[in-house]
Amino acid sequence: MALFPKVGRKQPGVRFAWYTVVAILLLGIFLHLLPFYFMITTSFKTTQETFAIPPTLWPQEPSFKAWELIFNVTTASSSSERIRTLLPQPMYIYFRNSMIQVLGAMAISLPVTAFAAYANSKLQQGRTARWFFLFFIGTLMLPFAVTLIPSFLLTRNFPFPTPNPPLIPGTENPFPTIRIWNTPWAIIIPAGFNAFNFLLFKGFFDTIPNSIIQAARVDGGSEFNIFRRIVVPMSIPVFAVAAWFQFGALWDSFLWPLVVLQSTDVIPMSVAINNLIQAFQQAGVTNADQAMGASQAFQQALDAGLSWPGLMVLGILQTIPVFVMFIICREYLLKGVRLRGLK
Amino acid sequence: MAKVEVRDVVKRYTAAQEDASRFDRDRPALDHINLTIEDGEIISIVGPSGCGKSTLLRIIAGLESVTSGQVLYNDYDVTDVEPQLRGVGMVFQDYALYPTMKGKGNLQYYFEVHQRTEEEMEARTREVARIMGVGFDLLMGQKTDTLSGGEQQRVAIGRCIVRDPLVFLMDEPISNLDAKLRESTRIEIKRMLRRFKVTTVYVTHDQQEAIFMGDRIVVMRFGKIEQVGTYDDLYYTPANLFVATFIGSPPMSVLPVTRNGAALVLGDGSRFELSDELAAVLPDGPMRLGMRAEGWLVDEGVAYPVRHIERIPTEQAAFIHTMVDGVHVTALVPLDYPQVDEVRLAPNWEQMYFFSATDESPLYTPGIPELF
Repeated sequence: MALFPKVGRKQPGVRFAWYTVVAILLLGIFLHLLPFYFMITTSFKTTQETFAIPPTLWPQEPSFKAWELIFNVTTASSSSERIRTLLPQPMYIYFRNSMIQVLGAMAISLPVTAFAAYANSKLQQGRTARWFFLFFIGTLMLPFAVTLIPSFLLTRNFPFPTPNPPLIPGTENPFPTIRIWNTPWAIIIPAGFNAFNFLLFKGFFDTIPNSIIQAARVDGGSEFNIFRRIVVPMSIPVFAVAAWFQFGALWDSFLWPLVVLQSTDVIPMSVAINNLIQAFQQAGVTNADQAMGASQAFQQALDAGLSWPGLMVLGILQTIPVFVMFIICREYLLKGVRLRGLK
Repeated sequence: MAKVEVRDVVKRYTAAQEDASRFDRDRPALDHINLTIEDGEIISIVGPSGCGKSTLLRIIAGLESVTSGQVLYNDYDVTDVEPQLRGVGMVFQDYALYPTMKGKGNLQYYFEVHQRTEEEMEARTREVARIMGVGFDLLMGQKTDTLSGGEQQRVAIGRCIVRDPLVFLMDEPISNLDAKLRESTRIEIKRMLRRFKVTTVYVTHDQQEAIFMGDRIVVMRFGKIEQVGTYDDLYYTPANLFVATFIGSPPMSVLPVTRNGAALVLGDGSRFELSDELAAVLPDGPMRLGMRAEGWLVDEGVAYPVRHIERIPTEQAAFIHTMVDGVHVTALVPLDYPQVDEVRLAPNWEQMYFFSATDESPLYTPGIPELF
């Protein structure tokens, strides 16, 4: 696994190359950690200090106001009614929404995707397998922006991608539709099959020798039992990588939840934080009364510490689950990354 | 225990199943195969790569479907029965152990999916460990990917016998082992097969192994069975030129010859007088002469330059390699044959094979000698 062989490391050229590579890697680590450093230090700064030019590297007057405020808000014991206009629900509601949507989507998507990949890899053969593979992979080729509007319409009148459901022929009545718009299902159902994870699973299942599957068949295992008892235990690293990718992607997804979720009791963290930023930026620019009320609320929130430092606290909270997920999957992830040569 | 019968089986891969790597689309993988394997018999299947021997084995196991024809176990038609229900045991070339289970788990998967009792499972596992001999218990507690090739192979065989199979199917089970281990393992397998008296189909590409294992040997080529018989049948009365050249080591040399009256003329002009017996059966004109290493009378007849003398102490014999009429020829001599530059050779008419010049059909074969 070594980038450089052990032999010949003392040669000046090799040594120079070695230190160059180390330097580049250190630079990479530094660049990746810098935003986190800034996020954490800013959360301890006062509001005035966040606007200081040049920016301070270390909080001059460390303040825990932002953390206190977020703690109050998340425990729903906020003193001020005005803050509610900026943050209509306690923070844990958004956190819970995010969790429900992400875990719900993964609970459906991982089995579905793994089944599809297994069937394509081991149960289909030859030309059939190739065409199905292209069909699944083809979904990766459409940019999200292209499918955004049709997908949105689908959530309005599921299963019709039209603004209004078509009429039943010969009658005046429209077809019955299900409105999954503005429910967690609008996040969960579209994520039910993940083409990238399909590729990941298929790539791994292809490396399992057919003879193992055949041996299990001769032993009398049904196809599902073979998958459950033989294939899944072999594939845990791949499941970990797939789960991690999907968790990261769904937890941080923003545009799609913004489009399909509107009421404050279903929006996830990412949308809630964005709404808060919007509120900050728009405070005092609409009509006078609103401006008055909004800017008062804004002022009060500022006083309470909910400004950029507060946002940074929210950002940290938003990031924590991804870290936790990484730590859970860490051992398998490293194995899986080595396995598949990813990232 | 079962009699296995393969009746007129044709296997043709359709375009939808075809892998891009497969060659020869027009030819069926198996072409009207008929084979009866008696209860308790061990059959070896040999043939060059791509001859369909593994396909035939997988069809008997039910892992591949047939295009037409039937497979019968004890006269019961199992053609459409799933492999799960056939009750066969199979050993694969790469052993195909379940990598996430320990040795024991590999053996017990069968009982798990058949919902047998824990006690039966334990009892059978112990029984197998006893049969498999020394050290098998130790393999049971280890992850299979930590085992060596030979150990994995023992576990694979153990997994196969733990269920008391109707039919044993072995797909080149020892070809991944090193030469020494292969030798001892094949004795081990043979001993076990004798003891169980289970109907066995043993696929291999190594004729030595096939001879050692099989009561009868099946030679296949291009999806067809060329000949079925004991080793002596195949060796002394080959059904055609292919079987004659495929069986035997060093391989048979084939010389184009012409019969001219009482003499046989080689391409290089040398003449040999035919024996009376052969003169009576052989037709006039061109034909092909097949000679094995032991078919030469040394130190009589025509002189040929020696290319190399290969001495094999374990066989107490030496082989003289030379060229006759541009064809590589090997002659068997005693181990202490002197180092010479030229050797005189003449055909021993009792051990000659004659084949038609135009097709592979035999004109004359020596027949099985009566040794006892």
